[in-house]
Amino acid sequence: MQARAARACGRLDAVDPATLRAMGGVHGIGPRSQRCRRSAMQSREAVVSPSQPLISLRHVARSYRRGPSEVHALDGTTLQIEAGRFVAIMGPSGSGKSTLLNLISGIDRPTRGEVVVGGLRLDHLSEDALARWRARHVGLVFQFFNLMPVLSARENVELPLLLFRLSRGERRERAELALRIAGLEDRMEHKPGALSGGEQQRVAVARALVTDPDLIVADEPTGDLDAGGAEVVLSLLRSLRQEMGKTVVMVTHDPRAMRFVDQVFHIDKGRLLHGEEAARAGRALESALGIRVPTQPRGADPTPTREGA
Amino acid sequence: MTAFDLVRANLGRNRLRTALTAGAVALATLLVCLLLTMPAGLDRLLARAASNTRLSVVNQAGLVYSLPYSLARRIRGLPGVADAMAVVWFGGSFEEAGRISFPSFAVEADRVGGVYPDYAIAENALNDFRRYRDGTLVGSATLEQYGWKIGQRITLRSNVWNVALDLRIVGEIPREGNPVVWVQREYLDQAMQAQGRGGLGTAGLIWVRAATPADVRPVLEAIDDLTRRTDSPTTAQTETNFYASFLGSLEGLLDVLLAVTLLVAVCIVFIAANTASLSIRERAAEIALLKALGFGRARLFALLLAETLVLAVLAGFAGVALAFSVSTVLQETAGRVPQLGPLGGFRVDAGVVLQGLALAVGVGVVAGVVPAWGAARRSVADALREVF
Repeated sequence: MQARAARACGRLDAVDPATLRAMGGVHGIGPRSQRCRRSAMQSREAVVSPSQPLISLRHVARSYRRGPSEVHALDGTTLQIEAGRFVAIMGPSGSGKSTLLNLISGIDRPTRGEVVVGGLRLDHLSEDALARWRARHVGLVFQFFNLMPVLSARENVELPLLLFRLSRGERRERAELALRIAGLEDRMEHKPGALSGGEQQRVAVARALVTDPDLIVADEPTGDLDAGGAEVVLSLLRSLRQEMGKTVVMVTHDPRAMRFVDQVFHIDKGRLLHGEEAARAGRALESALGIRVPTQPRGADPTPTREGA
Repeated sequence: MTAFDLVRANLGRNRLRTALTAGAVALATLLVCLLLTMPAGLDRLLARAASNTRLSVVNQAGLVYSLPYSLARRIRGLPGVADAMAVVWFGGSFEEAGRISFPSFAVEADRVGGVYPDYAIAENALNDFRRYRDGTLVGSATLEQYGWKIGQRITLRSNVWNVALDLRIVGEIPREGNPVVWVQREYLDQAMQAQGRGGLGTAGLIWVRAATPADVRPVLEAIDDLTRRTDSPTTAQTETNFYASFLGSLEGLLDVLLAVTLLVAVCIVFIAANTASLSIRERAAEIALLKALGFGRARLFALLLAETLVLAVLAGFAGVALAFSVSTVLQETAGRVPQLGPLGGFRVDAGVVLQGLALAVGVGVVAGVVPAWGAARRSVADALREVF
């Protein structure tokens, strides 16, 4: 049953590339059903009922020891993100955005509280178990692209696939498919040094996408890009949510992102702002930027919104 | 792309550094391989050169001290002795080729055939050597090297006795790679007398051939008994032991060289480890990324270790190939260049190849394991925090 659900939803480790290609849609991959978005991550480790969020953080705190003092990066954060959403986390520098992102993506573990993603308690997993979980379920995009300069764009995208039992041909095929989705079909064999910043970030998005993860986590993906490059990358991220049903969680300072996301969470001094505090932060941002900031979800149904397209 | 492609790409990142590190490992492998060939090479040399019935007699005080010439005659009178021949170092050099020296000895012409029947010197050559006072027998390697022909006249100047002998080549000593030149002792003796310096009267060593292998031990004891109460007591030993004692001191030197080479190998380990550490440190961001992508500790450790291992194994193959080439060239050249001495007997065989490769693998593992483990065991959050 679960296998059938996975196959129906185009999980990369369950479906051959031909099936993936046959999906159509944005640069070759088309929309999946709401049921698929829900069940993609549920199919293996845990079962999440349709009413449950994909990501759930409860009373999460994370502190670090920095020299003699202890830094409280997050303090009692509670957060829920539904599957198939494109969510932005905003806040001033040092507010705990990246720490929150690291906890959601299983890169870090909380000092206390619980982190549940896809029905799985991440805070209970060992470092190696988290690594295996990340490889299967999370695609990562960083501000500075973090591509390997000695590898071509295609080889960079193939990197995460080294963790899967795939033939060389299958890896190549899937990497090329992901690069086509990112609109880089004519730049596949270029080394990162021969690509523009925007193109490099699109390679990074393709790399995040190539394992067909349920969750894509982006840390300031437009922070090192010019306006044109930022628009393309944000459009690409939104198309992943719209056309493929990915859940995208992004930390950003970029006001342009507001036009693309479904919801914005505000964080300050390690605390996620809720209710009136969040609304006030949103209004402050709106008046400063002159754009609408979606502090509440844009509708319960996370199907594509064309706003800002 | 495969994991090996990733390893290869990382090795190609800084080609100069990779080449220099590989060169260091290859050089260490080459040195160790060449040294490892030497004990077996010395054994081979000994087995080839020595006869089981030929004995050497030298002054008990050492080879540099002479023996009375008359001792050879007295030894010939002992029971079980087939023949004995007094030998002195001639130290001849061929001035026409720019004072080239080769191992040359003044020997008793009529005793050569009796002491060296295993050398298979042609009968007519032995007869001519006996017949002509200026006759000389020349090793096949020396003949080949200088393009000398039987019947040709050459002049050799002795660096020991300060005489120049005009010689006629009367025959060949047909021993593979043998560079020895024999001149008549009588001719040298007369040349010195002609200069008013008196005759030779001494022998540097005496070669004796026992009639049968069973006679060897009694003859050895009889010779030492014969000289025990004289001014020149002797040490008699088999030819095998004689060369072995020569080579024994060489083996001591080899042990020292081997120890030095192993120290060099240890230094190479440190150099390779330092290179691996540098390389890993430079790629901290990329390694953090691999961790974030889901590369676990074991996989990352294997990937990083594979880099030094692949480099070391490739360098090891290069070092072994170089050692094989060097030993092959030495084998081919040693016959023509006497100065190379026993080096021509040193061969890189399968055992040496395996030991050389094992050394290279050892260098790769030891050099790579610490930096690779250090990078792999860091938590992904710490690694990312440090670089981003």
